[in-house]
Amino acid sequence: MSHNSWIKKNTFHFSDFKNLSYLVQEKKRKNLTISLCLPTLNEEETIAKEIVIFRSELVLRYPLIDEIVVIDSGSTDRTREVARAFGASVYIADEILPGLEKQKGKGENLWKALYVTSGDIIIYIDADIKNIHHRFAYALVGPLLLYDNIKYVKAFYERPIAGRKKTRPTGGGRVTELVVRPFFSLFFPEMAQIIQPLSGEYAGYRETFEQIPFPIGYGVETSMLLDIYEKWGLDVIAQVDLEKRVHRNQDTKALGKMSFSIINTFMDRLEKLGVIKTKKKMLTNMIQYKIVNNEYRPDISDIQKLERPPIIDIPEYRKKFNIDQSMNKKVKNV
Amino acid sequence: MPMDYILRLPEYEKVIKSIKETIITNIVLVGQVPAPTFSEQNRTKVILERMSELNIDECSTDNYQNPIGIIRGRRRDKPPLFVVAHIDTIFDEDIDHNYTVKEKYITGPGILDNSAGVGILVSLPEIFKKLNLHFESDIVLAGVVQSIGKGNLRGIRHLLRGWPSPIRGAICLEGCDLGRLNYYSNGMMRCEISCNISSKQGWENNFRPNAILILYEVINKILKLRLPQRPQARVIFGKISGGVKHGKIALKAKLGFEIQSDSEEMVREIYDDIRDIVNGISHERAVDLKLKTISSTNPARLQFSHPLVKQAVSVMKTLGIAPVSGNSESELSIFLANNIPAVTLGMSKGNNYHLENGSIEIEPIFTGIAQVIGVLLALDSGEFDVS
Repeated sequence: MSHNSWIKKNTFHFSDFKNLSYLVQEKKRKNLTISLCLPTLNEEETIAKEIVIFRSELVLRYPLIDEIVVIDSGSTDRTREVARAFGASVYIADEILPGLEKQKGKGENLWKALYVTSGDIIIYIDADIKNIHHRFAYALVGPLLLYDNIKYVKAFYERPIAGRKKTRPTGGGRVTELVVRPFFSLFFPEMAQIIQPLSGEYAGYRETFEQIPFPIGYGVETSMLLDIYEKWGLDVIAQVDLEKRVHRNQDTKALGKMSFSIINTFMDRLEKLGVIKTKKKMLTNMIQYKIVNNEYRPDISDIQKLERPPIIDIPEYRKKFNIDQSMNKKVKNV
Repeated sequence: MPMDYILRLPEYEKVIKSIKETIITNIVLVGQVPAPTFSEQNRTKVILERMSELNIDECSTDNYQNPIGIIRGRRRDKPPLFVVAHIDTIFDEDIDHNYTVKEKYITGPGILDNSAGVGILVSLPEIFKKLNLHFESDIVLAGVVQSIGKGNLRGIRHLLRGWPSPIRGAICLEGCDLGRLNYYSNGMMRCEISCNISSKQGWENNFRPNAILILYEVINKILKLRLPQRPQARVIFGKISGGVKHGKIALKAKLGFEIQSDSEEMVREIYDDIRDIVNGISHERAVDLKLKTISSTNPARLQFSHPLVKQAVSVMKTLGIAPVSGNSESELSIFLANNIPAVTLGMSKGNNYHLENGSIEIEPIFTGIAQVIGVLLALDSGEFDVS
């Protein structure tokens, strides 16, 4: 595969899916339902705007989304109250599947969302987007509804697209360019065509998500891509240009922790695939330094490599979705 | 005997609230696009996009780039009714225009003046549909550009100048305050005095004139003018700027002010007095002092006894709104000057009017919109038509 054959075929612009009536028509024709999941942790400032715009445009005016679900990690601000006031179904992550050991992290919320939502397609959108627009959701489901081969769609922002006259700034987030893209280039060069592998917005079929494991923390985006690629190939993945995204900026230290998780995920997947073999057990402490009273002191974060299994392996899930134990297939109600 | 539609207004208010998400979305999506006066094109594009999505009968810009949507009425012989909102704001493009929505408020720059008004204007086709309202007249929904400050109401002037038929009546929407009922405009002249000290006077001269002190002298002389009680008149100093840094004599300074009166002659007389003051100081101090007029409107009014005003009061009282009369020198003045019956209505309550964190209360918006529907139905009933 050349370095741009996939990008030419599977890269879209949000405006390709602006005909919302057509998307609704295709959704009905295929008899599909769609859930939108917003994972939150103290998002009081941005959550209401996201819910209001999605409800107005994609629930009330164009019935594309069937439910809006907020999965909260235990916000200490008014995120949950505000979300409820604007009509979202709100869950506290710890209260979903209470029989399991409690974990904290975005990946945990996304995984548990599979249990509480009911849609055939799930859209995941970060709740801290300041310039939210309904294109963030409809453009992600567009390729899923209009192209039968596509099972998973990833967003990207502010990138130049070959063949378009408009040139926009190049370069992704720091972690993408310094960690993820070098890893892809070293081991899975065709995946380097994914312009923004760490973007927090993506959508896919439930049947795809339920068959892959979810790391609890920041590694979830990377692992999702690697697992989908490994299981079904790059052609089931598409990416959509959503243009501008304004969100909170993270400082370098936070990005360091994020990189730690991502490298951990990479190493784990490389080992499972037999690409590399590590002779020493990888450690879980990220060691950073801070200056206190003119003295460098270590600032150590314990970042465990925790991962939820494919949710289809969880009995409660199988029961709720009526999935046959031996066949891994949904049993149709007659 | 109140007319039927007045009795239905409280019910309309509930129906309008049922699509609050769409109304808030329109306010946010429009308001988040910066639109400083003379650079409204991006906001115009969004307004047209939103209106065209609602499948209204016509949607385009006029030759002055005012975005306009038309909902066709049942009677071709009836002149159109206008609902307008100015789309420009006082905020530059480089400040963060992303709005915040909370349970009770929407917050962001320009929300009160006049993004909420524009968002509501854009929502009206959906609201009419939801209320199953059909009008005899065409309803012209117009966003108007170049309203504020140096814009000098150019957008509305061009819109009315180029409109091919008579206009039956108009409502101007402003973000706040709910209860505002403007039906007259004072004569107004908006002016700027600029003082420039030539740097050729030599950097070594520590006693050259200071532009700020020159303007101070101008202000003092204006304050000594004796303004009459009748006709009412006043000079409002609204803007001042000048200088570069604390320890440096200011070589440039500007003063912005308005002369307001309900008499056109009085505005002119005060202007002439100020021009004499400026010329005198310029001559005596040997500085470059210029007086420039940046906009003006003539006084025009409806009487309180005009049926439109009476009906607007009745609509507001039915909805529990206490009407507060006052003057407005905005789009209203141009309608009235063209003998078109018009009022300006406020949409909600708010805080931090011209600050970046301006915020509008969500709940009163639905009452504000119901009052617009009531006045629009009153205009459409033909009660105020000039035969």
